[in-house]
Amino acid sequence: MTLAMILAGGRVGELNALTYYRPKSAVPFGGFGRVIDFALSNLMNSGIERVAILSQYRSYSLINHLGTGAAWDMTGRYRRISILPPFQGSDETDWYRGSADAVFKNLDFVKYQKPERILILSGDHIYRMNYQDLIDYHQMKDADVTFACIKVEAQEAHRFGVAAIDDEDGEIGGKVSDYWEKPEQPQSNWASLTVLCFKPDVLYRVLKENQHEGSFEFGRDIIPKMIGDGLRVYGYKFSGYWGYTRTVEEYWRSSMDMLGDNPDIDLEKWGFRTNLDHLGIRDFQPLITGEECSVANSLIYNGCTVEGTVKNSILFPGVHVGKGAIVENSVVFFNNIIGKGCRLNKVVSDVNNNYGAESSVGGRSGCMPGRVTVVGWDNAVPAGYRIEEGAMIYPGIGEGNWPDIVKEGEVIR
Amino acid sequence: MTWSKDALVLLLAGGVGSRLNILVKKRAKPAVPFAGIYRIIDFSLSNVMVSGLTKVGVLTQYKPLSLMSHLGTGEAWDFTGRSRGVKILPPRTGEKDSDWYQGTADAVRRNMDYLRNNPAREVLILSGDHIYNMDFDAVIDYHRSKGADVTVGMMVVPESEIHHFGAGITDEDNRIIDWEEKPKVARTNLASMGIYVFDYAYLLRTLARNRDEVDFGMHILPHAIKCDNVFAYPFSGYWRDVGTIQAYWQANMDVLNPESGISIPHWQVRTNVEAEGRPADRPPARFGANVVLKNSLISAGSNIQGTVINSVLSPGIVVEKGAVVKDSIVFADCIIRKGSMVDLAILDKRVEVGAEAVIGEGGNCDFANRVYPSHLFSGITLLGKEARVPARMSIGRNCIIDCNVTADHLPAAGLADGESIFLPEK
Repeated sequence: MTLAMILAGGRVGELNALTYYRPKSAVPFGGFGRVIDFALSNLMNSGIERVAILSQYRSYSLINHLGTGAAWDMTGRYRRISILPPFQGSDETDWYRGSADAVFKNLDFVKYQKPERILILSGDHIYRMNYQDLIDYHQMKDADVTFACIKVEAQEAHRFGVAAIDDEDGEIGGKVSDYWEKPEQPQSNWASLTVLCFKPDVLYRVLKENQHEGSFEFGRDIIPKMIGDGLRVYGYKFSGYWGYTRTVEEYWRSSMDMLGDNPDIDLEKWGFRTNLDHLGIRDFQPLITGEECSVANSLIYNGCTVEGTVKNSILFPGVHVGKGAIVENSVVFFNNIIGKGCRLNKVVSDVNNNYGAESSVGGRSGCMPGRVTVVGWDNAVPAGYRIEEGAMIYPGIGEGNWPDIVKEGEVIR
Repeated sequence: MTWSKDALVLLLAGGVGSRLNILVKKRAKPAVPFAGIYRIIDFSLSNVMVSGLTKVGVLTQYKPLSLMSHLGTGEAWDFTGRSRGVKILPPRTGEKDSDWYQGTADAVRRNMDYLRNNPAREVLILSGDHIYNMDFDAVIDYHRSKGADVTVGMMVVPESEIHHFGAGITDEDNRIIDWEEKPKVARTNLASMGIYVFDYAYLLRTLARNRDEVDFGMHILPHAIKCDNVFAYPFSGYWRDVGTIQAYWQANMDVLNPESGISIPHWQVRTNVEAEGRPADRPPARFGANVVLKNSLISAGSNIQGTVINSVLSPGIVVEKGAVVKDSIVFADCIIRKGSMVDLAILDKRVEVGAEAVIGEGGNCDFANRVYPSHLFSGITLLGKEARVPARMSIGRNCIIDCNVTADHLPAAGLADGESIFLPEK
């Protein structure tokens, strides 16, 4: 039996307004789901039936989203999702001090499950992977830990944990001889995807030893230590699509990868699942298109009404695009009302926003702006208002708190 | 014996609805898809939910499988919980009864054990065949305030239509003083909607009286009007019996028209998206670079690359490049291939229209279907479940193509207006 543990606690400051009230893994993605649905759907499609979620930051959004776990077929006699929040015990009183510490603090839970393998995943990535392939490789190599890596551009490698992997098994994987977390001068371009499969006894031991250190991260601390101790550390070479959501630009790029004739992410083919009970997604009627609407290269979910123009965009349930409005290159979360004659270009708009008539947000219509504009949730943008590109509007700017105009790149709190 | 404060609901969902032709070949009328993701019965069930009623028996008889899977646990309509529930009540043999239901009252009578086990102040009897929004709580309040034994939901219809309905004549107090079932000559325009509130004890007594009284409209009501207190609850608003192809098509089109009176969001219509392999797990609808959309309803999981005008699309529809779907209703998982045309048609599930084929050829809608002239006469063409029309074939208007028909069954020249292809029953 494989026990999967999803690291879903992080806020990640670079997403700013989008993670003000929710952890990154609960950020909406793909027109109806959440980022964490990718890890959960992968688990479901890999036949892994016991899952624990380590959550810390603003976890209620995540807890709502997970529900009973039925959406991913994880309720049943032997199937379940457990949420593991930080807790106070006789010894433990701290918050999770890092990913490795989060797992260590829950080792009683882990050991009780008597897993044969422990799969540790980040809940923050957009990808499709059959974990069973990685597990098979891990078993074949009798490894102490096996983690998935992907080849990235050399100039990007410094942003990741990178591993030196040999060609012991060609394109499948190889032995890891070195590992650096976010190195200034990367000596490899195999980036870790934060998908790690551990031998339980080894994991228990290294986590315990790690408690004496001052840092508690799988990438920065555990993997280098295991290599240093001469344990069997293997890299599994992954070559599929991998989307990041660490920054707003990355989030926008990964979203745009879902569009086009042959999208990098085809949710239907991937067997993607989300919890339709969350925010009552299942209760929306189908999309209604008006008499004079125009839609091109977009994804639009049930519950939307489109009376204006939508191109190169993703609309979540309950978005109303008014007459004469143009929404382009944008991602609009649940329940936005975009008034008559509005312009949104390269905008990520969080839930429950209301754009007054003729307001204009992001780049000028018809061109591709350089930077993403973010509007946090519960904002009512006044009619005729202008928010220039690259601006970041925090959630809930009250009426009367809006400056005359939001200039390029400005942050409004 | 504890008395529930709520009324017990009995939903009569056994009707064949044969005028819906091949749409009811493999499912009961209440289970026929409607407005993309719904089924006809969802409107009655949602009315029950929104009215705060929590205990429902669904009487099935004809091809109930699709309906049973759709109801599931009843959770979609909030019917799960300690004192809540939706029960499927299929026909069964007993010591005395072994026949199929003979009529509406007979169906209820044969489920007397369910009635006795679920005592309530009133029993609300509904049909699962109608598209409407009604506050049953208000009906029950009305029933109580009138001190009625029976209250009948009634609405004004055109006099020319009254011969389809039970017709009631009321006094100034809304007491029904005379009743005619499907009258040939109109004396009133007040029609029964097939919605009855009975006092619980009164219903039990009445049903026990005479087993030959098998129908509420034909037998029970005329007797009750003579002897007891029967009131009309006047309803005004959108209500349609979608029992004919024409009415069914029109009601779907009404969903696209904000002036029509149908408003699914305001009515809070709910459906079970988890039935049949969780169809609504489907991702958002995908739209290509050169689509034309006008006044349509499009469900998740569709992939639209062509043109969709004045149409209602269920989940998972593929409309390829250059294809046009117009004035049509398309059920789940149909494929409309490149350059084809679907004009004024109803396509059941998993129909495939081949490249450059035409469904609804020509502008002449006047040749009614030759086999079923009373079913198809306004130009609508029907394609049954999993029918496949080969590439470049032309199908006329008022045609019927049976479920599972393929190129092997179709003449190479296609079908002229009013023609049909039926497969022998297996």
